[in-house]
Amino acid sequence: MDPLILSFALVNGLLIGGIYGGVALGLSLIFGVMRVVNFAHGSLLMLALYAAFWLQALAGIDPYASVVVTVPLLFAVGFLIQSVVIAPLIRRESALVVEPLSALLLTAGVYLVIDNLALMAFGPDVRSASTSLALAPLMLGPIPVNMQRLIAFSAAILAAVLLSLWLRSTRLGRAIRATAQNRDAAVLSGIDVPMIYAVTFGIGAALLGLFGSLLATFIPITPQVGLSFGIRSFIVVVLGGIGSIPGSIVGGLVIGVFEALASQFVPATSAAILSLGLFILILLVRPSGLMGRA
Amino acid sequence: MTTARPDRLRSPTVPRPDEIRAPSLPAAPGRRPRDAGTGFGTLGLIALMTLAAMALPLVVTDSYLLHSCIVVLFFAYMATAWNFVCGYVGQLSIGHAMFAGIGGYATVLLFTGLGLSPWLGMPVGGLLAALLSVVVGYPTFRLRGPYFALTTIAFAEMIRIWVENTDTVLGIPLNGAAGLTVPLRGESLAALQFNGKAPYYWVIVGLLAGALTATWWLEHSKLGFYLKAIRGDRDAAESLGISPARYQLVALAISAFMTGIGGGFYAQFFRYVNAERLIGVDLSIDMALMSIIGGQGTVFGPLLGAVLLAPLAEITRGHLGGSLLGLHIVVYGIILMLAVLYLPKGLIAPLRSLLARLGLLGRGGRR
Amino acid sequence: MSPLLDVRGIAKRFGGLQAVGDLSFQLEAGEILALLGPNGAGKTTAFNMIAGYTRPDSGEILFQGRNIARARPWTICRAGIARTFQLSKPFADLTVIENLMVGGFARSRDASAIRDKAEAIADFLGMGRQADTEVQHLTAFDRRKLELGRALSTEPVLLLMDEVVAGATPAEGQEMVALVRRIRDRGVTILIVEHVMKVIMALSERVIVMESGRLIADGAPRDVVNQPEVLKAYFGEQYAAARA
Repeated sequence: MDPLILSFALVNGLLIGGIYGGVALGLSLIFGVMRVVNFAHGSLLMLALYAAFWLQALAGIDPYASVVVTVPLLFAVGFLIQSVVIAPLIRRESALVVEPLSALLLTAGVYLVIDNLALMAFGPDVRSASTSLALAPLMLGPIPVNMQRLIAFSAAILAAVLLSLWLRSTRLGRAIRATAQNRDAAVLSGIDVPMIYAVTFGIGAALLGLFGSLLATFIPITPQVGLSFGIRSFIVVVLGGIGSIPGSIVGGLVIGVFEALASQFVPATSAAILSLGLFILILLVRPSGLMGRA
Repeated sequence: MTTARPDRLRSPTVPRPDEIRAPSLPAAPGRRPRDAGTGFGTLGLIALMTLAAMALPLVVTDSYLLHSCIVVLFFAYMATAWNFVCGYVGQLSIGHAMFAGIGGYATVLLFTGLGLSPWLGMPVGGLLAALLSVVVGYPTFRLRGPYFALTTIAFAEMIRIWVENTDTVLGIPLNGAAGLTVPLRGESLAALQFNGKAPYYWVIVGLLAGALTATWWLEHSKLGFYLKAIRGDRDAAESLGISPARYQLVALAISAFMTGIGGGFYAQFFRYVNAERLIGVDLSIDMALMSIIGGQGTVFGPLLGAVLLAPLAEITRGHLGGSLLGLHIVVYGIILMLAVLYLPKGLIAPLRSLLARLGLLGRGGRR
Repeated sequence: MSPLLDVRGIAKRFGGLQAVGDLSFQLEAGEILALLGPNGAGKTTAFNMIAGYTRPDSGEILFQGRNIARARPWTICRAGIARTFQLSKPFADLTVIENLMVGGFARSRDASAIRDKAEAIADFLGMGRQADTEVQHLTAFDRRKLELGRALSTEPVLLLMDEVVAGATPAEGQEMVALVRRIRDRGVTILIVEHVMKVIMALSERVIVMESGRLIADGAPRDVVNQPEVLKAYFGEQYAAARA
């Protein structure tokens, strides 16, 4: 195997892997705090991609500039999903504990509604957005590095670092972590748990708003694009350790590199099968993931 | 490792537990009617519904309408098969379509390759599905809740992607994403091919009656009690002599067998199978949704769910054309969310209490 | 005659903690034996090893002469040992009768005979009227009684009870004690893990006391509670010294 091609694949795998990790951050955060597997995770990314696309198509806003709209927009969508759809379940369970299977079914309902509303509203056509910024590939020695991917990759790392810092150092962040660790104790110490849940869901979705804008320039946008990102995010989160912010990035990098290198040796579809197999294996052998605590 | 076997444990000199006698008192007079809940009423209802349904093609001659009925009953059958394990053991499988896929592909391939009649090919496909279910279920059933659900999706997706990208394996043509067609033999009972819709309709009614009867049997059987106990509390179930892995696998194998036969029927009815439609996540979700919305862990819940939901898809597809593509799934999604929040036991729960209030249902009729 | 249950030097270590170290005791058929000890003494670990929920690192547990150490819970149940849980674990969406039927299938396939036995047990518990009630609607005490009845439904030779009166009012406690006695009178041998001394005084002829994973006393309740080691384990060094 040509070492140049291999290192090109490696660099690309790292970039894509970091992006996978960034996209999975919200899924991991929401699960870590609420024990809810958000089946609609990919659908929210799809919404963000369309938001970036329409902002450019209708208002001429560059996808990179659209971040100022997509991030708050997705925060609002996430906040609403939690407080309208999932909160009644928590109220019914009364002990503020979400029955995991019911929560999964609820978010599966959200997935069905959002994906198919998008299909009805936008049609099955493939769309794409483009940026007006001149982004020539950066040359890393002989290896060209795609700038759009590098930007999204850097954003993923930055988002993970900032999110960790924010969770550690701010009042709200600490309240979220307290709720994640012990719900009942959080209630007793006066934390408004339903509000924390809504904010957490909002932040998880807002992260997808960011990546919607950043990925819109190089991802074909269709109503179905969400599910494959969603499934991959599940794999990433399980691999990295559910609820772990650094684990999400590490899991993403592992999957990205694994898929990029595997596709040098076996057909790309076999690489996809292998990563699903890896996912099953991790769940069976080490369900806490690479970075999670057992 | 020295795992003691139960049969060897009991020394012959010590009285058997049932001779020692757990407390037994004569039942107080004038209490609970003994027929309550024995469920022969349920079996009668299945028989009655089957007979009535069998007669439908004598009245309905419109081919399109009959076609739609077959599709609805197909989904009712698949949801009932799903419910057989998932509903009773309280686990959410979103990968059941893999069993339909193996059943459908096996039925077609056995017919085209070996000339085996689908009447035999369908049960063989069912057996293969049961075999696959044991391989998949053995490691997976240790996982709970969302972990189990995600693993079943992953297994099914692995198989779907593999089939979609494989043209031949060991000389067997799978034909990749294009799928397989059943070669036309004209009107032939042996080849399970008919010009009219009615024979297919009778076959699916028969299959559904069988699946409902199997579920009725489950309700009263050791297996059914064991599954419900595992659903209730795994530790407690183990303390009552239940090996969760063993009984979950038995139930899953039966469920997969039924699902595999359903896949075979699908292949015969549409004379076509492909990976996306028969192994894809959509079919798995449909099976789960119809059971859950109708009422999982009951005999008639999945049937009710299918009868309410499946026509939605048929109507939007048939009458509203492409403009509202996906509308029925939006409605599914909304109904699913409402059901999870406000009717966690499914639509059959209020229906049952209504019938009970009208005195149409016996006491203890929890079916 | 050999004892019904012969525990021979079982031990269990969790990480750095020796939960049970070399525990041996015997249980004769027809006995009510109580296993006492302060919190963290290793009672529950010992209990779980006998019931098959925890695998001992070493040692043997002979039941009717056969080694059941390291057997799985369902095998142990079928061998004739039933257990209750400290926090009752009923099947919440099943009725009382259905809860009481599950265990019967370990002994028989005849659902109608199993139902008869389940009804007899419900009457025995004084819960005949609630037979068709879903368990989630029962009071905490009724759930505890049901837990006991469910264990009986497997027709055990030996019944392991993880606390008898936890959370019960004095009146309920008395009812429970009476039930346990009647179960013994019907030929079931009983091993109880219990905190409440009063219950033990009323129930058992013999108690064994554990402390830090080891047995420190074995004898009649009245004798055992006055032994200095037991007082020390329960109330601390100073109290024992003051009493001496």
